Formats: sequence, C-alpha cells, structure tokens
Amino acid sequence: MMLVDELGPSMRRVARMYVSSDAVTDEVVQEAWLGVVKGLDGFEGRASLRTWIFRILVNTAKTRGQRESRSVPFAALAGDDLDQPTFDPTAFGAPGDPNAGAWSTLPFDWRGMPEERAEGTETLHVIGGAIAMLPPMQAEVIRLRDVLGWSSDEVCNALDLTETNQRVLLHRARTKVRGALEEHFRSVSEA
Amino acid sequence: MSVDASISCQEVVELLSAYLDGELDPTTLERVEAHLAGCDGCTMVLEEFRETIRLSGGLTVEQVDETQRRTLLEAFRDWRAGS
Repeated sequence: MMLVDELGPSMRRVARMYVSSDAVTDEVVQEAWLGVVKGLDGFEGRASLRTWIFRILVNTAKTRGQRESRSVPFAALAGDDLDQPTFDPTAFGAPGDPNAGAWSTLPFDWRGMPEERAEGTETLHVIGGAIAMLPPMQAEVIRLRDVLGWSSDEVCNALDLTETNQRVLLHRARTKVRGALEEHFRSVSEA
Repeated sequence: MSVDASISCQEVVELLSAYLDGELDPTTLERVEAHLAGCDGCTMVLEEFRETIRLSGGLTVEQVDETQRRTLLEAFRDWRAGS
C-alpha cells in the first residue's frame, strides 16, 4: 500500500483535472488502480513504475472525461499566461531605454534569512499556499518535481506533457513560489 | 549592471529554471554563465531559485484519505474474489 500513499493525493488531483466531479474522480482512480493490478504482468519496466501508473491514470481520466463530453482546454489546466513574462516587466528598463532589459528595481534579497526562520513551518505554509494557488497543471508539475523529486522525464511521461511545456510550467510555478517567499520574508523583516 | 550585451537580465531570469536543471543548449549556457558572472542581481535571483527548490523539498507529502484507502482495498479484494 506504500505506492497508494505516495501517489494517491497526486493521482486524485490529476484525475480531477479531466472529469466533472469528486465522485467520478474516485471512480477513475479506482479504475486506474485495477488497471495497474491487472496489467502488472505486462509491465516491462521501460518506464518507472510510478510513471506507468500515472499513464494508466491519465488515459483512464481522459477517456472518462470524453465520455462525459467534457473537453478541458489545455490553457484551463496550464494557466492562460504562458506566453507572458514570468517576472514583473516593470522591474527592468523599458524597451528603447539605454538600460533596456537590465534590472531597474532589484527584488528583495532574502538570502541572509536566519536558518530557523527560513526553514520554519511558516515558510512551508507559504510554499504550500503558493502552490495551491497555481493553475492545476503548474501545481502538479512543481509538486512532482520539487516536492517529490521526480525527474523531468518522469513528469513528462506521467502527465503526458512535452519537454517544452513541462519546462515552461515548472519555471512559472517556481517563479511564483519564489515570489511568494520574497513577499513573506520582506514582510517579516519589516515587522 | 548588464555586462554581456548579448543577453539581458530580463531574458536571464526566464532561463534560470532550465539552467538549474541543466537543460540549456551550450551556446545559451555560455551566455547565461557569462552574464551571471558579472550580474549581482541575477545571481541573487538564481540563488533564491535554488533555495526555493530546496525549501519546497521540505514540504510533507500529503496523506491519503482513510475512506479512499479503504474503498480502494475493498475494490482490490472484490477484484481478486471475482477473478
């Protein structure tokens, strides 16, 4: 049951992206696990086990979503701001300026935070909260990569993403989490 | 602040994630490294990215809901009994 514990929460969230309700999500996750158990003999180990399980899950969820006539546009999952700069453009010299593209306002420097503050539960709440605010696919990519430590290959395979999309989603997610930490450390240092 | 005119701070910060994951092509990598060597602002943001990733790794993995776990176990049992 260790895999159920390790993968369970992510599997539910990923399945939920494609279907209409929590109840259907539960059915999809269950169906996927049964597919895993039945297919285990045929698993050839070309992908990691967890990646293979996610492929079954994503396929099951997509099929179910189609049967519900529910089509979810990629932008709804990935966020509709993917072609926008991730950093605030006003922090840099404007185009045409002699300093175009160079820092005009540096972000708050929080590197020197005392360790007990940086690593406290409050910091983890800030990170968790920032991830929860992300569009679902960005949230899942950063959870799998940076919280659970999966490789980018595994995440591409598991979530059926191209390398480029995975990279863009991860970068946006990390930028927003870094931004949330910056805000947090700035406010505690001013308090 | 920008030393290497071939790539700006604004461009560099968009590449930091790929840089940390070793996903830049050699030409871009060289440009980013040359830029970082002369730019304190981008170096700071790079170090904060690294720290963000490290701190994210400290989040506890969530628990599976007990009801869902039980439903799943029952489903497995039914499947075995039926096969």
